[in-house]
Amino acid sequence: MIMSEHQNISNIITSRKSLVKDLPQRSCFETVAEGGCGVTGFACSIPVRGKHIFEPSRQMHNRGNGRGGGIAAMGFDHRMLGVSEDILENGYILQIALLEDGVLDELERLFIEPFFNVDFSEALPHVDDYRDIRGLDVRPPDVWRFFVRVKPDVLKAFVDSNGLNGLRPRQAEDEFVFQNSFKINKMFYEAAGRQRAFVLSHGRNFFILKIVGYAEQVVQYYKLDDFKAHIWIAHQRYPTKGRVWHPAGAHPFVGLNEALVHNGDFANYHSVTEYLRQKNLYPQFLTDTEVSALLFDLYSRTYGYPLEYVIEALAPTMERDFNKLPAEKQKIYRAIQATHIHGSPDGPWFFIIARNNTENDRLELIGITDTAMLRPQVFALHDGQVQVGLVCSEKQAIDATLKSLSEEDPRVGTVADLYWNARGGSYTDGGAFVFGLEKNGGSLERRLTCADKFGSSVTVQEGQFPYLPGRVYYLMEDESRERFDIARFFDLQRPDLLFTYLKDGIRLWDYADLMDCLKEIRGWALKADAHFDVALDALTLLLDRRYPTYDKKRRSVLQMIAQTIETILRGLPSLMTQNEKGAYRKIDWETREFFRGPVHNEKVLIIDGSLFPPEGDHCDSRLMAEAYLRGWRRFIVFGLKGQRFHGCGFGPDCGGVRIDIYGSSGDYLASGIDGMTVYVHGNAQDQLGQIMKSGKLIIYGDVGQTFMYGAKGGEVYVMGNAAGRPLINAVGSPRVIINGTCLDYLAESFMAGDPLNGGGFVILNGVEFDNEGTVHPLDTPYPGANLFSLASGGAIYVRDPYNLIDDQQLNGGEIAPLDQRDWELILPMLEENQRLFGISIENDLLMVNAVKKNPLDVYRKVRPQQKDDIAKDGLEEWED
Amino acid sequence: MNNSAKFRFPEVVKTPSRFRNPIGKYRLHRTEACETCGKCVDLCKYGVHVIRRGRVYIENSYLCVGPDCPSPCYEVCPVGALSCGKNPVFDQLGDFRWTPDLLVSTWRMAETGSVPLAGLEYKRGSSGGGFDKLRIVMKSGQTGQADIPDQDIDVSLQLNRRDDHGHRIKIHVPFYGGGMSYGSVSINTILSRIKAAKALGTFCCTGEGGYPDELKPYDDHVITQVATGLFGVREETIKRVKIVEFKYAQGAKPGLGGHLLGDKVTPGVARMRGAVVGHPLFSPFPFHSVYSVEDHKKHVDWIKAINPQALVSVKVSTPTDVDMVAVGSYYAGAHIIHLDGSYGGTGAAPEIAKKNIAMPIEYAVPKVHRFLTAEGVRDKVTVIAGGGVRTPHDVAKIIALGADGVCTGTADLVALECIRCHNCESGRGCARGIATTDPELMELMQHEWGTRRLVNMFLAWKKELVRILKRLGMTSIRELVGREDCLVHLDYMK
Repeated sequence: MIMSEHQNISNIITSRKSLVKDLPQRSCFETVAEGGCGVTGFACSIPVRGKHIFEPSRQMHNRGNGRGGGIAAMGFDHRMLGVSEDILENGYILQIALLEDGVLDELERLFIEPFFNVDFSEALPHVDDYRDIRGLDVRPPDVWRFFVRVKPDVLKAFVDSNGLNGLRPRQAEDEFVFQNSFKINKMFYEAAGRQRAFVLSHGRNFFILKIVGYAEQVVQYYKLDDFKAHIWIAHQRYPTKGRVWHPAGAHPFVGLNEALVHNGDFANYHSVTEYLRQKNLYPQFLTDTEVSALLFDLYSRTYGYPLEYVIEALAPTMERDFNKLPAEKQKIYRAIQATHIHGSPDGPWFFIIARNNTENDRLELIGITDTAMLRPQVFALHDGQVQVGLVCSEKQAIDATLKSLSEEDPRVGTVADLYWNARGGSYTDGGAFVFGLEKNGGSLERRLTCADKFGSSVTVQEGQFPYLPGRVYYLMEDESRERFDIARFFDLQRPDLLFTYLKDGIRLWDYADLMDCLKEIRGWALKADAHFDVALDALTLLLDRRYPTYDKKRRSVLQMIAQTIETILRGLPSLMTQNEKGAYRKIDWETREFFRGPVHNEKVLIIDGSLFPPEGDHCDSRLMAEAYLRGWRRFIVFGLKGQRFHGCGFGPDCGGVRIDIYGSSGDYLASGIDGMTVYVHGNAQDQLGQIMKSGKLIIYGDVGQTFMYGAKGGEVYVMGNAAGRPLINAVGSPRVIINGTCLDYLAESFMAGDPLNGGGFVILNGVEFDNEGTVHPLDTPYPGANLFSLASGGAIYVRDPYNLIDDQQLNGGEIAPLDQRDWELILPMLEENQRLFGISIENDLLMVNAVKKNPLDVYRKVRPQQKDDIAKDGLEEWED
Repeated sequence: MNNSAKFRFPEVVKTPSRFRNPIGKYRLHRTEACETCGKCVDLCKYGVHVIRRGRVYIENSYLCVGPDCPSPCYEVCPVGALSCGKNPVFDQLGDFRWTPDLLVSTWRMAETGSVPLAGLEYKRGSSGGGFDKLRIVMKSGQTGQADIPDQDIDVSLQLNRRDDHGHRIKIHVPFYGGGMSYGSVSINTILSRIKAAKALGTFCCTGEGGYPDELKPYDDHVITQVATGLFGVREETIKRVKIVEFKYAQGAKPGLGGHLLGDKVTPGVARMRGAVVGHPLFSPFPFHSVYSVEDHKKHVDWIKAINPQALVSVKVSTPTDVDMVAVGSYYAGAHIIHLDGSYGGTGAAPEIAKKNIAMPIEYAVPKVHRFLTAEGVRDKVTVIAGGGVRTPHDVAKIIALGADGVCTGTADLVALECIRCHNCESGRGCARGIATTDPELMELMQHEWGTRRLVNMFLAWKKELVRILKRLGMTSIRELVGREDCLVHLDYMK
């Protein structure tokens, strides 16, 4: 059995030889264009319209340059395509881009008619004149779609002549389709020469479209706004070369039944190509993404590896993570690595793959990050009547997708249940997550599951129900309008009591009550500044803090609160008006022309960021820096969609400035701040607090890549996790609490002096909140293999009562017990942490297995190796 | 600075060596037989001999041009008291790239503000490659623009060629000073370079070791560097300047970050960088926040968010795909592409890196120039090339290959009497007090002296460039850009 499978594989590979034998042997393979990108994808339990990929794509504009955009859609309603269910499920959708007039006839004659039974074919509808789409400069290709099956006699001949009798008929047919497309491309497409036509995709139940332009223009041009699919992925390309670049170079790329998009680039394109050539695979479009798709297809289809092994072959598990694997896995992984390490892409990459797992009748959306985690990536899961799994290069794209979906279907909320990062090549999650869409009887609705590389599923808390606006909530007849006793909180100026009241309310009320109460608060808030403060503070606490939500879904509660806050802020007087009383003034994109300094007792500038561009001369952060010069000191920013650079450009000595950020905040937030205080109400993105000099930064959530890179100082509180590479090259005196953990490389090359003498340090608590809002320690406070590497100063204080951090994780650091002076140093930070996030020192941090411990036994100190250990006096020649 | 009408180049102020016995190529010897006839004093036009209180001395032996002398004193001396030979120290200096001739002629330029009159090969080294294999083609009989006065030959360079609202900056000479960090060189060295840059109407880069307060008066002539270690980079330092340089890589050691050995991390340096005294400082080799071009764009946008008018320079080494790097940087919003070739580097760059990584700059520059031209954006971006530019002839060659201007490094240090001993990295001990942070050694050099030396050298460069341009029949350095036909490569001569 094993032998025959081996023979099959080798026969498949041999059968491809005739395809590539006349191709030129090149001594060096190079990509013809390089560049980064933005990627986004989502899978939904019901088919959803193409317009929902539009907004996240548009928001990733600044990750592309309009020279290559593409989308893939997977899992259709057969009626939308005009074919029977059987044809959709079993036929191949061969989609061909035509770049020259009249090429279709020739192509059909040579490659379609002789081999395929065509069940249905059509030209894809598109907008009449591409110039009607703003910003689209190059005419997208005409696309012809064929639903095909290989003719039985052709297939038989193919099988016989190549000795593929051992394959199942479907496998042979897959291979035939694959090879036929290769021939089409070979004949009709020269990457560096004449380009007449090429195959966009040829798998089952999915297709790919790509153009020279932005991804969302694909949706517009091919009129996919209303076209429904279960899975959508999109890619914005940023090639550095070429004014005109060809659509075939854009992503996604196809293997057979998978579409792959990629963010990053390989350092070893040549060696991967060489590796593929040994398997008679030859890239035709000269980009590293194409070879990734070929690799994936090779492992999964030709070799028949389960997904876990495919992922291992792409992103090998290394170092300590490898040692942490069970022996059984180590054995298999070692074999995989030994066989495939030459094909393993080296360099920063992140793949999103839509795959039709035809063997198991499952549609899959897969995100895989590289072992070094060099590209940003966020996953999210939204559960409920409509389930959505999302994976994007930035959280803002997730937010945009959910917002877009929820506008059409209120069963989808604007907030997901879970957000997380994958830890590349790790023993914990393997750096990859798979959203699977299982069939659910005969209906179009599928069931979404989520699992990591090892198959452990990601699930949300059961027994909680989302808010469904469609349901009618009746008021009881005897209920009066003023049924919430909240006036006293406003009279007493006690937001904390209002917060407690609402918290209790969530337990007692249903959604309708909660909504009514929020409505009432909104009414109060707009009555007077003092009331507004109470309302905003209480609602913000509700947004930031963790507490049990009982039968309600936390995401639904958060969505309501966020909406209430937005409505309140929108209701404040505009900066245009001169005669309003009160300290708050609002400015937005439309009224930015009326921008001015504060007069009278105006104190707080509220910026509605929703329509501002994410960067450049007209972005809202530039406006804020200008406002600071004009005398504003207090800012509230809301409605953000990934706008960047908030807090940048204010200059030195900004003590007394306070910024509150609501919504999807963007990259580089608070980078370079000196003295100001910034509150981020929610998760934050990448590159926060770079070169930060002083001031205070509080993040009520997780924070992204390279957080506080090169920071000089400041006090920072992170409620959740940090992604990869926090505090690299930080110097001076940054003082940071991370309550969760980090992916890896925490405080590499940390140089922050002696913490006991004014230097910097990081407190890593390694705890998380559960659904009830209580604090639990994580399995390990730090899962990564590199902690405090090459550091020469500063320290990391880890909450590690079970001594889980070991020497293997350190490279140049050493673990020392805590002494009293250390505890006195970190205690004030922990107290502030307690005040901000409700993580109690006594009841949470010092409690180990329900027993209160001495802090000196709970925390451990990681410090740079003491010099004396390394540098001896040079006399000893022999030691025993 | 933008007011070019007001700008005047400084005058040359003769600035001799700060050591007692300057090193020259030849050594004269006078025996007791001398009769003090004074013939040699009259004869020598280089000022080697002086007569004082009835005796003749060889006061400036280093100025002797040896056999190149049209009227050698040692042949004329009636009593044969004079003899001339090669200075044995001379051949111990330098290396193939920086030959003793180049070192001494650079010192001469820094002293006198002119290229040496005779006796020294001041145009090129003898490395057998790079600029040393290129020659500027001067057609015989070509007189060029000999009749145009020197001041009408334009050697200035516009740095902002994008149509944006960044500063309009013109530098008056086609070169500026490359980055050397506080810590790798002394504050006096930095001050000398920056003050010279101010005098010459150009710029000088701080390197990545921070922005010492001493430089504040010269903010308008400072390029501050944002390098991978982000040492000393603060928002205020970015706000202060007109040009911000991203250092992605150094031509002398691409793939390696900056590296300051522990011994050089004195309390002063540690304070400036916020690091620990005595511990070596490594910059990571990449920017951890920039792994692709869209990250780079974000990075540039960030700098523009902090200082909207600043020009952005992107310093990269020369990998084989340097052309794509350049065009990517341009589209991300850079004003200046700074290509750093591999011939540069002081003693701190590892030998193996200096000699074996990256593409030679004379291949990289034309590659980028042609690619940007084909892309149609060549006139929107300024290309600066650097790494191993030693002489005004190197400047002319690199511009003819396609750069707009040049970035200097080691030449500055040589003007300050660096002897290329290659021990920059070892401890604090720069024998010449240039690349040191040791408080005592630093005092070996004063910045007033250093400034004058650098001004002199660059004025000599400028004068020589003008001479070359005139000979080529050009009135502006911009005419020379990309004129490969003005060059010949000795290996490919037809």
